[in-house]
Amino acid sequence: MMLVEIVNPYYLQVGSFILINIILGLSIYVTLSSGQLSLGNAGFMGIGAYTSALLTLNFDVPIIVGVIAGAVVAGLFGILVGIPSLRLQGVYLAIATLGFGEVIRVFFVNWESVTKGAVGISGIPHIGREIFMVLKDAGFDPAIIGLKNNQFVFLTVFFVLLLINILLVWFIFRQQNSRIGRAFAAIKMDEKAAESMGINITYYKVLAFVQGALISGFAGALFAHVMSYISPADFSYHRAVEILIFAVFGGSEVIVGAIFGATFLTLMPEMLRFISEYRYMIYGLILLLMMAFRPQGLIDVQVLHWFQKLRLPKRRAEHGSKNQKHL
Amino acid sequence: MLLEQLINGITLGSIYAIVALGFTLVFGVLGIINMAHGEIFMFGAFIGVIITSTLGLPLWIAFLAAIIVTGILGYMLERVALRPLRGKQGVSHLAPLISTIGASILLENLSHHLFGAGNHPFRNAFAEISFQIGSITIYLVQILIFVISVILMIVLSYWLLKTKAGKALRATAENIETASILGVNTKRIIILTVVIASAMGGIAGILVGMAFNSVNPQMGLSMGLKGLAIIILGGMGNVRGAMAGGLILGLSETLIVAYGDSGYRDAVAFITIIVILLLRPQGLFGQKTTAAGR
Repeated sequence: MMLVEIVNPYYLQVGSFILINIILGLSIYVTLSSGQLSLGNAGFMGIGAYTSALLTLNFDVPIIVGVIAGAVVAGLFGILVGIPSLRLQGVYLAIATLGFGEVIRVFFVNWESVTKGAVGISGIPHIGREIFMVLKDAGFDPAIIGLKNNQFVFLTVFFVLLLINILLVWFIFRQQNSRIGRAFAAIKMDEKAAESMGINITYYKVLAFVQGALISGFAGALFAHVMSYISPADFSYHRAVEILIFAVFGGSEVIVGAIFGATFLTLMPEMLRFISEYRYMIYGLILLLMMAFRPQGLIDVQVLHWFQKLRLPKRRAEHGSKNQKHL
Repeated sequence: MLLEQLINGITLGSIYAIVALGFTLVFGVLGIINMAHGEIFMFGAFIGVIITSTLGLPLWIAFLAAIIVTGILGYMLERVALRPLRGKQGVSHLAPLISTIGASILLENLSHHLFGAGNHPFRNAFAEISFQIGSITIYLVQILIFVISVILMIVLSYWLLKTKAGKALRATAENIETASILGVNTKRIIILTVVIASAMGGIAGILVGMAFNSVNPQMGLSMGLKGLAIIILGGMGNVRGAMAGGLILGLSETLIVAYGDSGYRDAVAFITIIVILLLRPQGLFGQKTTAAGR
């Protein structure tokens, strides 16, 4: 069969990383779309990952329950941090969330009886393998569709993540054009004006923040069950910056931006091996250059309209808001 | 025992204060949090290692070299990360934060490549010299660090309060447009501020090298975050607040290590950030009017 040659576990692995990173990129996109910069997403991701890993390892709960629990716990922490942080704006919120992320990491390192400290947790149930075991018990053999066992495992992970991604993008896309999304955009443009228009800014800001936390926690839980190993170093300041770069590089104003940023920046070190060593230096340069020359990111509303015009040459493009505040 | 811990705490705290002063100067004048300050500080420490341990030159040359190198780094930071964003239409207030985060990541990994990842010992001739007063031991290094810090703080305060350039800086911090109308060359003042702040970071780097006898590329990040905690504790842009905040954090960290769980030492700073931001966003020494959100 041909499938055996096409399905390469390495590509699937990279693909899975891209999909997880897209979820992370979306998590910061949601909070940014309401004009808030959260640097705590790595912390929320860690909470999700540890919650799910510990639940599945110690209490034998199914992965899906663990992942949902991880996302929910991260979301709860999001409420806990989000409500008091409302008093903070812009830079202050960024620092407070950065501090939060570091506190979480320090706790992971020091709470050794539960988290095994800096060593990390290994042997976390793997999504692909678990699904494979269930199917195997039901009498399924990957050889029927011409795949080896490990190919099937990686393929399953990839498709599960792909499905989750599609659902998530769909959700955020729908939300963006709804009352909630417009409230977020209004708050981002001008908080005071939004308030005077009758938008409950407290509610919507917390909502955006909690959504961000929930999605990062979700991504973290998936990360744990794809990697089978997590340690506090996975959720450090560097992760927070990496997540930020996904959105800043790709474009923080449009959903496609975060998706493109996560995809490109995950692929880049894989495609160009020599870059891998200089990865963070390049990240630093990207942030510097983007802020100086294109603060809204590579893809913005104008670029999207341009693409739309290419595809539909007859239809008149809608007017993009030129004076929008860039990130 | 307690007295010895207090002395350790004050030594650590005076270094923290110097780091925090760099943050607070830049924030006071530009309203920007310079996330790259910690990494500039780390470069200063590495210059110290190279001059004293690798080249075997005396300590004062290390100070001089660190001031020059970090000053240049500060100038470059202003040119590359801050100036392009200034006065540009439509750039959000988060942009400088993100661009200095970029500079910090770049510098951290650059030093990784230049100096290697491991710990570098910081040798100096008088590391082991100590005095015995009653039952407590005081190291000469500790006294030196404390004296240098205090001198630095006094000079900075005098410079800010009495000299023409210092007054111009304070005027710029008060209101950049008005200062510019009144004939202050604000562009130059901004460069001067960032360079002085960075040079202070460089000095602090050498002091930390002397105090802990080890220098590594990651120290910039943790020190930078602590500096942030201190200026939030003391009030953003508040010079006296930064000094007091540094001492408070240094003392509380030392006491946590001595009487609590040393693993949570680094959490002290971050918990401080969160608690202060939530309870008293203007900081311990800040005024209410300047509080919250810029």
